[in-house]
Amino acid sequence: MATISGVLARPSSYNGVWSWITTVDHKRIGILYGFTAFAMLLIAGLEAGVMRSQLAVADNDLIGPGVFNQMFTMHATAMVFNVIMPLSASFFNLIVPLAIGARDVAFPRLNALSYWLFLFGTLLLHAGFLQNQAPDAGWFSYASLTEKPYSSNAGMDFWALGLLVLGTSSVAAALNFTVTIINMRAPGMSLMRMPVFIWMTLITSILLILAFPVITVGLIELTMDRNFGTNFFMPSGGGDPLLWQHLFWVFGHPEVYILILPPMGVVSEVLPAFSRKPLFGYPFVVFSGLVIGIMSWAVWSHHMFTTGLGPVANSVFTITTMLIAVPTGVKIFNWIGTMWGGAIEFKTSMLFAVGFIALFIIGGLSGVSHAVAPADNQQQDTYYIVAHIHYVLFGGSIFGIFAGIYYWGPKFTGRLLGEGLGKLNFWLMFIGMNITFFPMHFVGMNGMPRRVYTYTADSGFEIFNMISSLGYIILFFSFAVFIINFLRSFKHGAEAGHDPWDAPGLEWSISSPPPAYNFAKIPQVLGRDHYWIVKEQAREAGQEPPPAEAHVDERTIHMPSPSYWPIVIAFGVTWIAGGILTYYALSVVGGLIAFVGVLGWGNEPASAQSDH
Amino acid sequence: MGFNPQGLARRPANIASGEDVKKPNRPGMRLIQFLAFSVVLLLLGVACSQGDRSTWNPAGPVAEKQLLLFNVLVWIMAVTFVGVEGVLIYAAIKFRARPGQGRPKQIHGNLPLEIAWTVIPTILIMGLGIWSVVVLWELNEPPGYADGVDNVLEVTATGHQWWFEFEYADAGGGKTITTANELRVPVDTPVRVLLESDDVIHSLWIPRLAGKVDMIPTHTNRLWFQADSNMIETLPATFLGQCAEFCGLSHALMKFEVTVMEQDDYDAWVEAYGQPPEFSAKAKEGQKVFNANCTSCHTSTGPDAPALVDGRVAGFLAGGAIAPAPNLTDLATRQKIAAGLLDLNEDNLQSWLRNPNGIKPGNYMSAKAPFYKDGEITLSDDQISNVIEYLISLK
Repeated sequence: MATISGVLARPSSYNGVWSWITTVDHKRIGILYGFTAFAMLLIAGLEAGVMRSQLAVADNDLIGPGVFNQMFTMHATAMVFNVIMPLSASFFNLIVPLAIGARDVAFPRLNALSYWLFLFGTLLLHAGFLQNQAPDAGWFSYASLTEKPYSSNAGMDFWALGLLVLGTSSVAAALNFTVTIINMRAPGMSLMRMPVFIWMTLITSILLILAFPVITVGLIELTMDRNFGTNFFMPSGGGDPLLWQHLFWVFGHPEVYILILPPMGVVSEVLPAFSRKPLFGYPFVVFSGLVIGIMSWAVWSHHMFTTGLGPVANSVFTITTMLIAVPTGVKIFNWIGTMWGGAIEFKTSMLFAVGFIALFIIGGLSGVSHAVAPADNQQQDTYYIVAHIHYVLFGGSIFGIFAGIYYWGPKFTGRLLGEGLGKLNFWLMFIGMNITFFPMHFVGMNGMPRRVYTYTADSGFEIFNMISSLGYIILFFSFAVFIINFLRSFKHGAEAGHDPWDAPGLEWSISSPPPAYNFAKIPQVLGRDHYWIVKEQAREAGQEPPPAEAHVDERTIHMPSPSYWPIVIAFGVTWIAGGILTYYALSVVGGLIAFVGVLGWGNEPASAQSDH
Repeated sequence: MGFNPQGLARRPANIASGEDVKKPNRPGMRLIQFLAFSVVLLLLGVACSQGDRSTWNPAGPVAEKQLLLFNVLVWIMAVTFVGVEGVLIYAAIKFRARPGQGRPKQIHGNLPLEIAWTVIPTILIMGLGIWSVVVLWELNEPPGYADGVDNVLEVTATGHQWWFEFEYADAGGGKTITTANELRVPVDTPVRVLLESDDVIHSLWIPRLAGKVDMIPTHTNRLWFQADSNMIETLPATFLGQCAEFCGLSHALMKFEVTVMEQDDYDAWVEAYGQPPEFSAKAKEGQKVFNANCTSCHTSTGPDAPALVDGRVAGFLAGGAIAPAPNLTDLATRQKIAAGLLDLNEDNLQSWLRNPNGIKPGNYMSAKAPFYKDGEITLSDDQISNVIEYLISLK
């Protein structure tokens, strides 16, 4: 042990590539998450483009069913696990310590490990493309289609193992943020003074901790079925394919809220800031989030109304699913209540937040319509559902995330994004989103099933699909405008200053970008909307609003030193999974690497030599 | 608080000038509003298809009841949508910051309002939920079924990659029938379909007759439907059915037809099923080819024996040159081949036999049957044309 601890001193460089590989700074990790997830957003978005090209006209033979099935499987899998979740994780990393007045997360090295596991898991999940064996059984991967006789190539193994690695990343990150939020709040920040975004992060983290073990069980069973001859889901061996669906959706429905609660938190920060009014009904917004988190465990079978669970189960899940609309509605009413009587400034961030509400209303309403089991029998597995989930996850999650990027981005780049391009970005996305997804409600009820690679000319589906495909082009340009705006802001963006929006959160009291240690002095939190209170007090005393905290000598503040070990462990863990796909011996090698990583992690010096 | 008298002073002036500008335009605005509204209604009317696979166009009590439920939901959604989006847009316009306006009144909430907008939606949604549950139980089984009313035709439907099998344990007069991809039912009769699968999960969906229910290996699910003569223009009528659960490569191509017939026509079909057909000399030649090459998977002389079916499934799972395949006994009476993809005629049979993979990618015939080499058929042109002659004699 001693030898290992003596071998590697902790890295001490804070510049260059190595500094990013070994970083444990939550802001840098947040940036890594953000860029990786955004790159995946573009890839998964292009996969959607391939599908929209194929479906634009009837009887199209641009791509065959093989490629199409890979496209919809990987589009959805990536959007859920590699885009929306890590974009939320990026916000958790960037914002949580700043907004609760902490210098970092509770476990900085675990935080780095989460990122590297996420990156390697994403690569493993997508590695199948290199061998033309990408997963192709849908993001839900219903057994028994996923079993060897029906999916003989390695696609499903890439899928299951990639998701297992991603799951470890998510659970590690969720534990980290739960502990951080519970333990590391600045003095004065009681639970009911926490920003709603922090509340939603906490609820999401708890959901993650509870939900991922369930899918992990399913994924391990699937991997064992496929590779070691077990029969968990294989009918001919006595297994039950329906068991997979229960495991998947007991995870999957909380997962839906894992995807939407963080953007709801973002919107709950953005709306008050630009309405210049505190959040309306803060306790109701918080508790409705908690109620959603709890009820999300009691609605999973509404994904299974057509699986023959029987009228008793369908009745119960009809009622519970309809009830979950209530806390969601309460949130929407409170957001509108926040705007009511405000002095709303329509910066791009605010546009995205209001766009979120407008679109989420549509997604929420169509959600109620498939809570009704007999009506859902006609909707299930049609484009009506595709429309619904995109109103919730694109109109909801992605719009919320963009509101967050425009709102908090300048805190980390130090530059404002252009408002002109921002508004163009918003309107293209808002219009494009509706043109793409609204017609899907109709084509679904007109009888078009989802996950079909082609349809005939006599079906009457063509005009709707053509409109949707044209909408995609508008969406494509909206993302292009965003990228231009973002890159341009580094050179031409106006200096953000520490508080460009006159915002209420703690994070706006320090400079943009914040120093490595965040707060030179841990603040005493005066109330909800702490920074507004501080500024108001200054105004009443006839003083200028307080400036950003002065930087202090970094060496006077002890911050966690960088570490080599998180990436080593993540690499080892990924090879444990990779070995199952290639040679089992490689799993052993991976296990050894991870083991050495754990030893090194446990024994490395508490700080780099240059630190004190 | 940062209150700004200028902002207050400006407000009435703004409204006044707004009125002045707006007035002359009012009739024009009204016209535009009217036109916009008409266009929306027109689009909705066009968008809700009355086509052959549209849920807006029910042809029986089950689909009709499901549509009624949906339509009521649509109206509730529409009213809520207009109301909430209206308030949102109003708030967004009305409460825009005005130049020089300071911090507005800081309101933290309103308890009675909060309670109202929690409790009222809860009550509304519970009312809707209770009605939904009532309908759910109503549609659970055909009317009177639980009390033993025996007017129901029972069919077992089995999903296969990528076609549907239909077995009538008692199609009428105690006769057993196995057929594929075309479900024949008498009009005005409740049909109870037992749903099974022996490979992956499929889902049986006839949009105009009933919402879908999944076909899951090791489970026996059920749905029922009825085609009503007063909702159908002419008989026999055909309704498109399709697989609604993603089931692999050719999921999009897994369809079937429901043929709704007068009771007499249905009885005639049942009567004729399995009677040895008249074969021409050419068809007899074709029969030899068929018996030599096709019968390990396809039956053409009556219903499939259960043991035979089990053997085919087991052989497939063991990786043998065998797979469950459609029963062809009444092939020539069907409207379509290849699970609803092509009209039944000699040309289409020809192209199907020559290149099944080109029509239905991944199908097991070209993968399993020994007379395909690399996807090319190795039977001679004569053999092919004879076997087609045989197939179109199967009625």
